[in-house]
Amino acid sequence: MSEYVPVLIMLVLAAATAVGMLVATSKIGPRKVFADKMEPFECGESPIVSPKLRFSVKFYLVALFFVVFDMEAVFVYPWAVLFRDLGMFGFVEMMIFLAILAVGLLYVWRRGALEWD
Amino acid sequence: MLTWSLGFLILMVKLGAVLLFLLLAAAYLVWLERKFLARLQVRYGPNRAGKYGLLQPIADMIKMLTKEDTIPEGADRVIFLLAPAVVTVTALLMFAVIPFGGDLSFLGKRIPMVIADLNIGLLFVFALSSLGVYGIALGGWASNSKYSLLGGIRGAAQMISYELSLGLSLVPVVMLAGSFSLVDIVRAQEAYPFILVQPLAFVIFVISAMAESKRIPFDLPEAENELGAGYHTEYSGIRFGLFFLGEYVNMQVLGALVAVLFLGGWSGPFLSGPAWFCIKILVVALVMIWIRGTLPRLRYDQLMALGWKVLIPLALVNIVVTGAVILI
Amino acid sequence: MTLYTCLFYVLAVAIVTTTGIAITQRNLVHAVIYLVFSFFGSALLFYLLGAPLLAALEVIVYAGAIMVLFLFIIMMVKMESIEERMPPLGQWLPAVLCGILYLALGAVVVYTAPGSEFPLQTAMATPVELGKYLFQRHWLSIEIVSLLLLVAIIGALHLGKRKETGGTEEP
Repeated sequence: MSEYVPVLIMLVLAAATAVGMLVATSKIGPRKVFADKMEPFECGESPIVSPKLRFSVKFYLVALFFVVFDMEAVFVYPWAVLFRDLGMFGFVEMMIFLAILAVGLLYVWRRGALEWD
Repeated sequence: MLTWSLGFLILMVKLGAVLLFLLLAAAYLVWLERKFLARLQVRYGPNRAGKYGLLQPIADMIKMLTKEDTIPEGADRVIFLLAPAVVTVTALLMFAVIPFGGDLSFLGKRIPMVIADLNIGLLFVFALSSLGVYGIALGGWASNSKYSLLGGIRGAAQMISYELSLGLSLVPVVMLAGSFSLVDIVRAQEAYPFILVQPLAFVIFVISAMAESKRIPFDLPEAENELGAGYHTEYSGIRFGLFFLGEYVNMQVLGALVAVLFLGGWSGPFLSGPAWFCIKILVVALVMIWIRGTLPRLRYDQLMALGWKVLIPLALVNIVVTGAVILI
Repeated sequence: MTLYTCLFYVLAVAIVTTTGIAITQRNLVHAVIYLVFSFFGSALLFYLLGAPLLAALEVIVYAGAIMVLFLFIIMMVKMESIEERMPPLGQWLPAVLCGILYLALGAVVVYTAPGSEFPLQTAMATPVELGKYLFQRHWLSIEIVSLLLLVAIIGALHLGKRKETGGTEEP
């Protein structure tokens, strides 16, 4: 278990580097606040509509498909490690697994959910 | 007690060296990119600060540190502050599992040239790269600007799509090596580098890695002619710098991963391990810059189609074929 | 108390606290971030119990995928449109009933299961051991999981398609 201690130390050091830079810039940099400067960027105009836009449902679908296929990948990783030990049985097992999900991917594809138009 | 403190000392030296190297190399990668890109476009690139513009990264660093760091009105202050740090920290931490040389002996002690040889090394990298999405999405959301939000959402959707092909393309490599540990994967390539047996996985991995790092031709989240600067439109000073730093550290990590997974890692004739490793990273980085200088940006539908309709099916087919070939 | 026990209790408190904040937080994006921290805590707990593989998978799936989905949905709905009132009875009553049932079942399992008096031994589960256990002993569950995921894909597609007719703007 001790092989994870260096990772922890590295996390602390990396975070310290990033936070140190953030703190340094807030100490060093000038600070002149006035209303126009603090407005969000809008090509020189004042913002007219709220930035909380509505988004295409496509993005949401992509995230959903990602979750499903990420679950698939999560099962494939441990299988890949001991692929040789499992032999033919494991191979066939994973092929059925992948085939079922390939059907899913094909279905989504045929229904046009992957088109971005 | 003595061996323990010696081990700790060695660890701290390694950590310090790696972090310092990563930060410095990121700064000079920016210089290299600007210079090489300029030459590709028949320009000079930075040439004012120092000879060949070699002091440019230092000048940039000083400039970013001394700039005012503004927080736009209506921004979510805490998230706005921390999002760039998330990008940088996740990118730096990925290097913890990457071996940069063979074992070294020092005072009769064997020192592995890797910070932590984890038996889940590759999954550690995947986990961190999936967390990197938060820096982009939250940074874009917290800015209270529509360009930032659009850039953040686009970036997140792009990163998660290509994370799948990235992960799946490496499954055949894991099958060949029989381990997630990056040290074991390098050892498995002693006879021949995996690029020779897995050219398809290599291509899928490199394309996905470029999309993950949001570089041209995949830079839609920060497409300057439609979105200002995308998710970091509202960022100034060193916070913008941290996004930038994260991007270039990421480029090194991806170069290192390509070297470790496909090009035989640190191994090579004549030169020492770390030297070969740096050369391989440099070659990958130069190729990435070259691609940036050559290709135009993709459209969003092309981006998604490439990820979901080409790379993911190809990666799945590659897994099946590799499995069948190994077994039969 | 050993170091492991100490760490366990620290983590447990952290998980419960972050989850509690996530539930009571008005700002939905902050709630998601607290939930991410909560999943981190669970991942560390898995690691502490000797299963680093599960810890990594927990971060990849929960913190890296499912929470990103949540974040997407929250970023896409207009924040102003969320009214500050109690949801209708039909929504929270089943939730409360399910919660009570879950608590009761949990209590029964904890108090009647053999071996609940002894803490679990930490045992190192390397990726190889875990994979063997999963793929040799539970091969049927793996196939069922894939069918479940297939159903999830189709369900997601139809939910998304139905929403699309409601008129959305292209970004």
